[in-house]
Amino acid sequence: MVKAVRGVLVECEPAIKSILVHIDSTHHHEFIIDDLDETHLFVKETMLQVLKQKLEERLKETYRPEEPLEDSE
Amino acid sequence: MSSVGQQSYQLSDYLEKLPGTTFRKLYQQPSTAFAIFRRMLPPLAKVFVQALLYMPSPLLLAELDVWVRAEGKMQRDRALSILRSLHIVQITPPGKDKPQELQLTTNFKNSLRLALEGGGSHNSFGVPSTLPVDPRIDIAYLDSYARRKWEDILHYVVNSVPVQGEGGGGGSVGGPKASVKDLLLIGRLVERRHDTKAGVGITQAGFTFLLQEANAQVWTLLLLWLEAADRAKGAAEQGKAAAAAAKTDSIDMLSFLFMLASLELGRAYDTDALSETRRNMLPALVDFGLIYIPREDTRQYFPTRLATTLTSSASSLRSVSSGFSAAAANNPGDASSLGTTPETSAAAKGSVIVETNYRLYAYTSSPLQIAVLALFTQLNMRFAGMATGRLTRDSIRRAISFGITADQIISYLASHAHEQMVRAAAATGRPVLPPTVVDQIRLWQLENERMRTSAGFLFKDFDSLEEYVSLSSYAEEIGVLVWKSDKKRMFYASKFEQLRDYLKSRKKAE
Amino acid sequence: MPPKRKAPSGQTSAAKAGRASAMSTPGPATPRSVDSSIMSDGDEDFDEDVSEAQREREELLSKEADEFVNKFTLGGKRLQGQKDDAGREVRRYDAASSFFRKRDFSHLPLKPDHQNRPLWIDPDNCTIVLERFNPLAEQATDFLITIAEPKSRPTFLHEYSLTPHSLYAAVSVGLRPRDIINTLERFLKTSLPDIVRKKIEEHTRSFGKVKLVLKHNRYFVESADAEVLQILLKDKVIGSLRVQGSSDITTSYAPTMGGLVIPGTQNAAGVRQADLKEGEKKSGEGGEVPNEADLFATLNEEDDDDDKEAVHAFEISDADVETVQKRCLDIGYPILEEYDFRNDDVNANLEIDLRPNTQIRPYQEKSLSKMFGNGRAKSGIIVLPCGAGKTLVGITAACTIKKGVIVLCTSSMSVVQWRQEFLKWSNINPDDIAIFTAESKQKFSGSTGIIVTTYSMVTNSRERSHDSKKMMDFLRGREWGLMLLDEVHVVPAEMFRRVISSIKSHSKLGLTATLLREDDKISHLNFLIGPKLYEANWMELSQQGHIAKVQCAEVWCPMPTEFYDEYLRANARMKRTLYAMNPRKFQACQYLINYHESRGDKIIVFSDELYSLKQYALKLKKVFIYGGTSQSERMTVLENFQHNPDVNTLFLSKIGDTSLDLPEATCLIQISSHFGSRRQEAQRLGRILRAKRRNDEGFNAFFYSLVSKDTQEMYYSSKRQAFLVDQGYAFKVITQLANIEKTPDLAFATPQECRELLQRTLVDNERGVEDEIETDDLFGKAGGGRGRGRGSGKKSGNGVRRTAGMLSELAGGQDMAYIEQNKAANKALKAKGKKGAAGAEGKSKFFKGIQREKEKARARTG
Repeated sequence: MVKAVRGVLVECEPAIKSILVHIDSTHHHEFIIDDLDETHLFVKETMLQVLKQKLEERLKETYRPEEPLEDSE
Repeated sequence: MSSVGQQSYQLSDYLEKLPGTTFRKLYQQPSTAFAIFRRMLPPLAKVFVQALLYMPSPLLLAELDVWVRAEGKMQRDRALSILRSLHIVQITPPGKDKPQELQLTTNFKNSLRLALEGGGSHNSFGVPSTLPVDPRIDIAYLDSYARRKWEDILHYVVNSVPVQGEGGGGGSVGGPKASVKDLLLIGRLVERRHDTKAGVGITQAGFTFLLQEANAQVWTLLLLWLEAADRAKGAAEQGKAAAAAAKTDSIDMLSFLFMLASLELGRAYDTDALSETRRNMLPALVDFGLIYIPREDTRQYFPTRLATTLTSSASSLRSVSSGFSAAAANNPGDASSLGTTPETSAAAKGSVIVETNYRLYAYTSSPLQIAVLALFTQLNMRFAGMATGRLTRDSIRRAISFGITADQIISYLASHAHEQMVRAAAATGRPVLPPTVVDQIRLWQLENERMRTSAGFLFKDFDSLEEYVSLSSYAEEIGVLVWKSDKKRMFYASKFEQLRDYLKSRKKAE
Repeated sequence: MPPKRKAPSGQTSAAKAGRASAMSTPGPATPRSVDSSIMSDGDEDFDEDVSEAQREREELLSKEADEFVNKFTLGGKRLQGQKDDAGREVRRYDAASSFFRKRDFSHLPLKPDHQNRPLWIDPDNCTIVLERFNPLAEQATDFLITIAEPKSRPTFLHEYSLTPHSLYAAVSVGLRPRDIINTLERFLKTSLPDIVRKKIEEHTRSFGKVKLVLKHNRYFVESADAEVLQILLKDKVIGSLRVQGSSDITTSYAPTMGGLVIPGTQNAAGVRQADLKEGEKKSGEGGEVPNEADLFATLNEEDDDDDKEAVHAFEISDADVETVQKRCLDIGYPILEEYDFRNDDVNANLEIDLRPNTQIRPYQEKSLSKMFGNGRAKSGIIVLPCGAGKTLVGITAACTIKKGVIVLCTSSMSVVQWRQEFLKWSNINPDDIAIFTAESKQKFSGSTGIIVTTYSMVTNSRERSHDSKKMMDFLRGREWGLMLLDEVHVVPAEMFRRVISSIKSHSKLGLTATLLREDDKISHLNFLIGPKLYEANWMELSQQGHIAKVQCAEVWCPMPTEFYDEYLRANARMKRTLYAMNPRKFQACQYLINYHESRGDKIIVFSDELYSLKQYALKLKKVFIYGGTSQSERMTVLENFQHNPDVNTLFLSKIGDTSLDLPEATCLIQISSHFGSRRQEAQRLGRILRAKRRNDEGFNAFFYSLVSKDTQEMYYSSKRQAFLVDQGYAFKVITQLANIEKTPDLAFATPQECRELLQRTLVDNERGVEDEIETDDLFGKAGGGRGRGRGSGKKSGNGVRRTAGMLSELAGGQDMAYIEQNKAANKALKAKGKKGAAGAEGKSKFFKGIQREKEKARARTG
């Protein structure tokens, strides 16, 4: 019987998908409903904001934080 | 980017939408015909108009080819197309027996002749006031008045950007009149938002607006105003006759704007000589800073530089900013009053330096320009005539999150580049902005696009391949299919109701 | 074969902790331990067998220095005077003020002719903004480099900041507070804010007032201010240390540069004209703004002009020097050291001069003029980019002083290089310049001379060989005119303290390319060696052709999904291996090597990760050198890289970061680096700055950093670049290398190969990873420092020895198969080399010499 499941489609680069899957696996799989393909995930609508925030935290590790403008070295 | 080009485009956009009858009415005013001639026409079109103006009879279209060299054919065609779309010329339709002829439209021809020759009793160029004029109202006074008014408006738009930390740019207490604020809302330069101090937030159109040259900004606002007036009248008075009246009003309004552009800065004009429509426009024009009306004597109005430069050609557009620099010069203690003349003022030369290490230095004392820079720069220090800051990932990303684009930022920086940067670039044959910085701004924008989300429904667990194919094809047909996998027999659709109905009817049919 | 592990588990975990903290707080906590290559030579072993008493003393000194430094760094390391509310000007507020919070200084009125003045100053933090396109920019730059720290020096506007240290340096090169204030006033677009004036006065009041002078071999505490001297004499500690009998304070006159000429300068060519020139300069002055190229000429003349300034002094005994220095520091009168070498008739003169054809460059002259500004030698540090001729500056200083010189280097390799440079640039008799290393313990023959040695040799206090002991007695038993300290940024403060306390020198000159340390100890150098005397502008030297122009790029290499998934799961150590082994990065490296080899470039590829270093080099069939490479193999490889047209790419571990002089190299590729080390980035860039071809028309050297996308490497990479970016270098981000897929024999082109690479990488690195750390610092404590647990029996002071030991095992320990291949790869060279035989060998005496020494040493021990 065909089912229609409500949720959010996430389209992203493979690296972003890897991070999202990793976040999911370290959080009791509470974000992702279905791993669709290389660049698509199906995600719980209610958890989307939390997931986005966690992703941003992860990505932050890969950017240099802004230096304070005081320039104190 | 040529913001000048952009702005004339906007006005012509508006004009091209107008029907021929409107033009006929518009061209009854010599000032309008003259303004359109001066402002809206490329050089070649002007040559054509001048040649046709006193020609006793229509010109054979073929003869134009003699005037224009073969390689200029494209310009000729462009000039003709503009002249036609503005209803300045009419060309007879191609026919077998008669060659095509070209002539100026009657109203345009007559009005332009009047404008050039003078004479007539049309009052098209305004009636100077005969009353005594307060000597304190001089050009400098008007400049500083207009500047204050206009910057109030711009500040209102800029301040609708939430600034991190202790409220940013809170200088313009009160801001522009409610009517102007409404206009900005109607024009969607700002939109209502509850998370900002002002209760409104900037939109992408608002950013575009802010990044324009002053003259283009004025026109953007005036056109919004004309359109709003049209709509308001149209909506209020449903009757046919009333709609026609409204149309006349907006034509008269536009004519009045063109007339203002032809007035002399520093001179007083008579309000009594204006039509009622035009008198009704005065309060709004005061709010915009286009005219000044002394409180003591409301029978006089003074056009400001914002009005008199409305139809200036691109090169004289600078006069707006240099005029403002002169106005600033009258503020004691202001930086630009010292050692800078209007001609050499930073505003006219471009004032922003961007270094390879993302530091930004702006030679400006204008709170407004600083506020615009603050949209995408982390500002640091300010001296008299100079502000320093840095382009950072956060500052750019914040701007992007408000709808401003990397390209808008880059083109703003390029068009406001300090003369030193321009000179260094010319000397080395390199781009004006450091390429690494430009790349990085774009890369920061790309970061935003690394993940897209859309709400909807995942369809799965189909009973048969046939069912899957049928439903997914239907989803595609009605434009709700977002993603599908034939291998997994799943698809994702943005809507669900139509598909459900389709499925039901399909089941029924079986 | 599993690697041998000597390290007791306790140490391993300590090392882990250190590393973990490095990951979480990159930067200051970046772990530093010992460079294996250098440690593999016995002479450079770090000394950990220091007596408890000495350690305590050092700790105490270090703490005191810290405290002192802290006094200067309260409130964010900036000048922070008391806010003078009453004296504050009223600030104006407008709509834009709030964007700047407290940093809106637009209320400070501009001077009428502000356009002719190049500076702004922020009165709160003393940041100075300099307009480089101002007519007076050159003069202002010269001035600022003396009184302030350069923070940002790109193209159009520079930023400097006035700090207590920079003012200390300014005062020590002879600027008086009123010179600083007046000159600032002249260059500023606004009036000098009172608050800044007060800060300058306040912070210079105590600086530079007291000097320690060795005159006729006796130490004098000297001051131009009799009152200050009285304060010192009344001090309970210092007062009692005055040499009794030397009845009172003696008074003499302050020295001026007088007839002193620095060799190699333009003045040297026509000494007699000097007086005349100065006279001319003087008459040229008079306008509001100084027009002289060098402000200091003016200032020194002013000295001449003034009534000769009286100086007052009292004598202290040699034994009390350090106590007095410390005490003066405590009471806020840091002592400057100056050497009146022209009046030193106790120490023998050294026969040394620059060779007649040697001309030093303008910036070298400028830096030396700071050192010898008043005719005496001032101690301090000169900062020049790599390749800009630091060695020649040191040699010229030696030729100016003409007394005994001791040179301290970081490795035996650079010991040999220094000696060679001395012989090349100066006319020193080869018998007068000797080397003190593990292999060679020579002395000079005459009454004075030059000794070149390493920091480790002279700080080593473990039981020494008879020869060493004798040599140390020799070094300690005499007075040196000049101590040259090479690469001061890598040596820990404690080590300086030991060097300085055991060897007596009249003046000290520190040399470095980057006065950057990820720890805070730079400030200690100010007090141990002396202030920074000069710091060159990289971009300027590059524009003038003194160092090569460099194109910098950061190449983003996405990770294949499987690699990236593994990366996300991996521990910190494995993460680093994985982002180095990213097959896309490998391909990018291959592509760039192909591209640049075909252009005729000579390429150095740097990898901190030993595993990937070997993997890359072996797969691409290139030669490589790392800590475990034997000395003789290194020589062969370097020799070939320099002269063999078939060997154009060299893989180097971080042992190549410093003091490796390869002017053939024109392209540099980094595949893995040491966290966010700005210094390493600058040092590595330095490897290509001296490119031989730098003055060819349109020549560019290339510097690539390959980084794996979406990994911490991106974060580190931008942090690393910060210093260079502020020097004006621009890093272009390359997200796509054109036609990379068309590279012939492109490695890891199939998913299958990538998977295999991943599997192999994981298996190979699962064990023994802890042992593989090879850090770039020569010295320095690893992670936790002193408190670390030590294995019984084997004492290890700073953990350095342990690391060294482990690293030497690495050569045999890692993975037998690769080692075999490695040998085969580098062996191919040897076979070739033999064919070309004597020719190649004969080219370099340097390598031959090292080789010979090495063999001798082996013969001795064996």
